[in-house]
Amino acid sequence: MDLLLTELRRIQKKEGFVSEKSMKLLSKKLKIPISKVYGAATFYAMMHVKKQGRNVIEICNSPSCYLNGSLDLIKFLEKKLKIKSRQTTKDGRFCLHICSCIGCCDKSPSMKINGKVYSNLTEKKILEILKTCRS
Amino acid sequence: MQILRKTFGRGYEKAVELGQEGTISLLKKKGLLGRGGGGFSTGQKWEMVLNEISEQKFVVCNADEGEPGTFKDRFILMNNPEIVIEGILTACFAVGADTAFIYLRGEYDYLESSLKKTIKSILEKTKSKTKIDIVVGAGAYVCGEETAILNSIEGERGQPRHKPPYPTARGLWGKPTVINNVETLANVPLLMFYDDWNPNLRLYSLSGNVAKPGVYELPEGTSLKKLIELGQPVKKIKAVYFGCFGGCMPYDDILITSENICGKGCMLGAHTIIAVDETKSIVDVATNIAKFYEFESCGKCTPCREGTMRIMNLLENISLKNAKMHDLNTMQELAEVIKETSFCGLGQSATNHLLTALKYFRNEFEERVIEKKDRKRVGR
Repeated sequence: MDLLLTELRRIQKKEGFVSEKSMKLLSKKLKIPISKVYGAATFYAMMHVKKQGRNVIEICNSPSCYLNGSLDLIKFLEKKLKIKSRQTTKDGRFCLHICSCIGCCDKSPSMKINGKVYSNLTEKKILEILKTCRS
Repeated sequence: MQILRKTFGRGYEKAVELGQEGTISLLKKKGLLGRGGGGFSTGQKWEMVLNEISEQKFVVCNADEGEPGTFKDRFILMNNPEIVIEGILTACFAVGADTAFIYLRGEYDYLESSLKKTIKSILEKTKSKTKIDIVVGAGAYVCGEETAILNSIEGERGQPRHKPPYPTARGLWGKPTVINNVETLANVPLLMFYDDWNPNLRLYSLSGNVAKPGVYELPEGTSLKKLIELGQPVKKIKAVYFGCFGGCMPYDDILITSENICGKGCMLGAHTIIAVDETKSIVDVATNIAKFYEFESCGKCTPCREGTMRIMNLLENISLKNAKMHDLNTMQELAEVIKETSFCGLGQSATNHLLTALKYFRNEFEERVIEKKDRKRVGR
């Protein structure tokens, strides 16, 4: 059974985002109107219909992380990368998303980069992690 | 811990031995209640689906714990996934379903490959012909609501449906569907196999301003003080939040039972405890939670879509000291309207944190509001 959500995730994993072209192809493949594909793709926070940076940073700002200083880390990241949430750096290397709870409240503050979880963050740790990201 | 005990497929074997009705009556006898927050009797839910006449039925495992501060399901899926799969198989057998879905939240996508392996090995061991698929979500808090999960799996936008009809009568693709939380299903093989299974043991997710956050297994009705002390807070704890939706109350030595917490105007839900110490301002925490709800509102109904945004704006004004005293009253009134008129559980509980914060910590909000006479002095 081809489920729309699973297909959308597969496309995003392969291409980094869901383009208009792939939405058209998917609507033909599943025999559903493109409006439905677009509706589902834009509903979810982790689905992107715009081109993303080579490294997608999702940093949590829900209460448990917030109480352990996530807001300072977000400001630090924004300053360091010179972008705000939902923007991509000029060189296309990073894009930043402030997201809801990622379920790592016992290791807060946490973030995910390209799907990998990094927790118990500090500014120093973030700098080291950013160095290891694909250029 | 009880939840980490293994059953090696013997819980499912016992269920097959007892038959469908025997399994359900054992579930009822041992008193298993839903662990996702609703607390509905699992045996009763299964019986309703068993009694429905339909050529196809489904079982859905709700692994979309989006509630901030909750991570008990992740703990189970990482440390003892076998019993969850066995619980799903037992549910399929008991209600007569041949297909099951695990709706895994997008944030936990790294668990998908290990879960697939576990499913394969359990299916081989039990020789069951049930089909278990994993559907990975893509980040939506509202998809923790059972009918929103159904829409999400079907490929619609993950918005909640009207109830009734309940999923037990018309669920996935209109067929009777059992939807159970991970912790509930994990307990099924344990209670089937072990005679000494304790229905009172619950998983508490403790986080926030504590040195040792984590999942603690304690009996229902443990004292809040005992739990917080296990977390070894560094500073004095001022308030506790029961997740975002549960609201907050001043830190007090009470027993954690649904009745006690309800009496404080809060909701216990999935036993999530977020500790807030005295250095943090409740106004700032409330603003943070309001931002969360504004972001996560699905947009289906107006009170929640527009209201959460207005509440966020008002709270931001208050925290920046730009508000007047009557803004506080406007905010409270709006919060009550949202609570009473929203379509689903998300909207109905979206302002609970604010109403309880205003009830117990109103002075902190008032401190941020500039008095009229001061306003003239600063030239406004």
